[in-house]
Amino acid sequence: MSTTTARSIVKDIQVSGLRGRWWVTALFGVLLLVAVWMLLNLVIGGKCGADCVQGTLAQTLRVATPIAFAAFCGVLCERAGVVNIGIEGQMLMAAMAGYAVNLFAFQALKDSIGIEAAGNLSRWLAVLAGILSALILAALHAVVSIEFKTNQIISGTVINILSVGITGFLYRQFLAENLPPGPGTFPIAPIPVLSQIPVIGPILFQQKPLTYLMLILAFAIHYVLYYTPWGLRTRAVGEHPRAADTLGINVYRIRYINVLVGGLVAGLGGAWFTLEAVDVFNPLMTNGLGFIGLAAMIFGKWNPFGALLGALIFGLGNSITSTVSIFRPDIPSQLPQMLPYLLTIIVLTGVVGRATPPAADGEPYEK
Amino acid sequence: MKTETKRAVNAYTFSRIWNSAFLMPLLALLTALVLGALVIWVSSGSFLTVIDAYSGLVRGALFKERGLSESLVATIPYVLLSLAVAVGFKAGLFNIGVEGQFYIGAICAAWAGQVTDQLPAVIHLPFTLLSGALGGAIWAAVPGYLKARTGAHEVITTIMLNYVSFRFVEYAVSGPLRDLQSSAVQTPHVSASAELWSVAAIPERLQDPLNALAVAMCCGLVAFLVARVIRRRRERLALARPVTYTIGRGKPARAPSFFTRHSSLVAAVVTTALVFVALPVLVRLWWPFTDPYDRLHIGLLLALVAAVAIWWLLWKTTIGFELRTVGANPNAARYAGMNITRNVVLAMAISGALAGVAGTVEVLGVSICRCLPMFFSSGYGFDSIAIALLANNNPFGILGVSFLFGAMRNGADLMELNSGVSKYVISLIQALILLFTSAPVIMRWVFRVRVDRKAQEGPLTRGWGGSA
Repeated sequence: MSTTTARSIVKDIQVSGLRGRWWVTALFGVLLLVAVWMLLNLVIGGKCGADCVQGTLAQTLRVATPIAFAAFCGVLCERAGVVNIGIEGQMLMAAMAGYAVNLFAFQALKDSIGIEAAGNLSRWLAVLAGILSALILAALHAVVSIEFKTNQIISGTVINILSVGITGFLYRQFLAENLPPGPGTFPIAPIPVLSQIPVIGPILFQQKPLTYLMLILAFAIHYVLYYTPWGLRTRAVGEHPRAADTLGINVYRIRYINVLVGGLVAGLGGAWFTLEAVDVFNPLMTNGLGFIGLAAMIFGKWNPFGALLGALIFGLGNSITSTVSIFRPDIPSQLPQMLPYLLTIIVLTGVVGRATPPAADGEPYEK
Repeated sequence: MKTETKRAVNAYTFSRIWNSAFLMPLLALLTALVLGALVIWVSSGSFLTVIDAYSGLVRGALFKERGLSESLVATIPYVLLSLAVAVGFKAGLFNIGVEGQFYIGAICAAWAGQVTDQLPAVIHLPFTLLSGALGGAIWAAVPGYLKARTGAHEVITTIMLNYVSFRFVEYAVSGPLRDLQSSAVQTPHVSASAELWSVAAIPERLQDPLNALAVAMCCGLVAFLVARVIRRRRERLALARPVTYTIGRGKPARAPSFFTRHSSLVAAVVTTALVFVALPVLVRLWWPFTDPYDRLHIGLLLALVAAVAIWWLLWKTTIGFELRTVGANPNAARYAGMNITRNVVLAMAISGALAGVAGTVEVLGVSICRCLPMFFSSGYGFDSIAIALLANNNPFGILGVSFLFGAMRNGADLMELNSGVSKYVISLIQALILLFTSAPVIMRWVFRVRVDRKAQEGPLTRGWGGSA
């Protein structure tokens, strides 16, 4: 990685909080983490040792995965000037499609190619199905909001409600009872050498495949957005579509493709729910994580690494509450469960610095 | 020649009806029903199932025992909640949080109702309703304030507050507000004095003179308002009439009598007295609703009043004018000297109050124990967004569409029983209705309907960009 790239990534993260030299940011981050750890120990009575810290951080990365996918989807769409509230619905749809395909592909394949291979194959087929189902909803959003110029927020809400309706119906009709045994979620896939590194290894490199994919995607989107003509055009379309159009960029085409690619990314986020987190599907299982993803995106000021940082913060909040609820069962579980949502509101109010969205965000473009 | 003219006129009338604002929702509804039928057909494999399902739906909604009144029971929260959404839309706010405000209204009412159990019924019921409304209003005003002052978009903040309110209600019902005498996890009962009277119990309730007086005074209030409106209109007409001067000896002008000058007040007093004396006797002699298991309650009246009140507020008052102006064009509103923050907060508060009342109605009217159980779920909130959009935010349109949705919700059970199709197909159909109404272009494109400028004015919401 060249130094310029590294510097641009650091800048990417820095805009979402502190300013100044990169090592000041890093130092401040570490101090903050230590402070959080001490506070946690205060609450649970000093029971959070090395193992617990390691577990909590690994859990943070796990939980941050769908939020980050949602945030990346938001970055792609909104940098091109399309507000996408329907991420939640796309993820829900992908979660169901992934679950169903995982189950039924396994049933169809297990006799012919053996249980082990069938499990692997069906899980990846399920990821594919999840992506495709989210893509269909993204296409709907694109057509309705770009082609027909309907209000993008209404269109996104329609997608959310539509996917609740579709998944609810299909779940009750086909997936609620008498299910055959499935292959389960992805197993943990430690990366050969890297996972042996003492502290970082278990946190970063003993995860499941979609989590790795999410981390790779952060680099990929950063690269595409800032180092390719495509990214430049995307940003131009999001900031000033008329100027971009005057220069010969096809605004509609850019927006279409960005929303569709965003749909793919959201599909990965949805697949996480049923292929990495738990081996069941239940209606409404996305639980607002898509919206939290949008908040992470706003926190990260529409930058991929900033969004990742936002997702990690939400993930940290989540994993800390689960750690607390393990050690302190006397605290009613609903109170810490409210925290991520309240955190989202606080982030949106701009306590951590005002965010400026892309100038043409949410405005249909009339040629 | 004559027939030609006639034909032209017919064609004109036809095209006007075809292109009217009324048509789009109807087409959306029909298309969604057809698509729903297709889904049922494909998922069950036989066309007969479709007929079974839809006939079951209609029978369950209207014709089975207590079918109609159950449909009306489901209509009540729909009316209140979609009015809440509509008020938001008119002020340029997309209040997705009505579901959460509904929960908060319900928990506030359940708490306030049982704390003030000793009060007489005449105070107890209005107090409980008010506290539900207040809870919802405050809960909704917060995102309104954040939107106006910090630009935090209300769509995300209200959704987040939805989740917070679900958790909060769960916590409150299982923790501090739990009824320890009951084995079920629920809040304590609110005594019967705060019950929203079921229709069957009305004659009995009216035997209490205090109740009769309260009802009579409500009727008097309505009479007062109606008389005032009539009087205002007559005065305005008189002003518009050309003045005629009489030369010489015309009729001497008489000073208006007391009754003419205070006609509204007189109407109010007379109505109150008449209702107070006559109504308890009359309902004793004849009352059509005798089924004690009928759950229909006077919340229906409340919903009707709310619809009229919101219409009046939005289109006949200065407050409503300001709200609509802020919604249509905040810059123009600011330039005209309107306070954006105040209007946004006010719109959200009204919206939340309506949703809170809906929650209260669920507690005081529908639930048998007049309490809030642990796993209280409604799903009314998201449907009501569809209703508001389908009715194009018109309060009277909302009454009709709410009944439609209430009937579908109520008929779904019999549909499932009849045909084995999951009742969640209803939510699928409703989502499709929402899709088609929110993107009328699709419908126009499918059915080749011309664009009607007036009907096209869609709901107004803004992206992240502008602050209010």
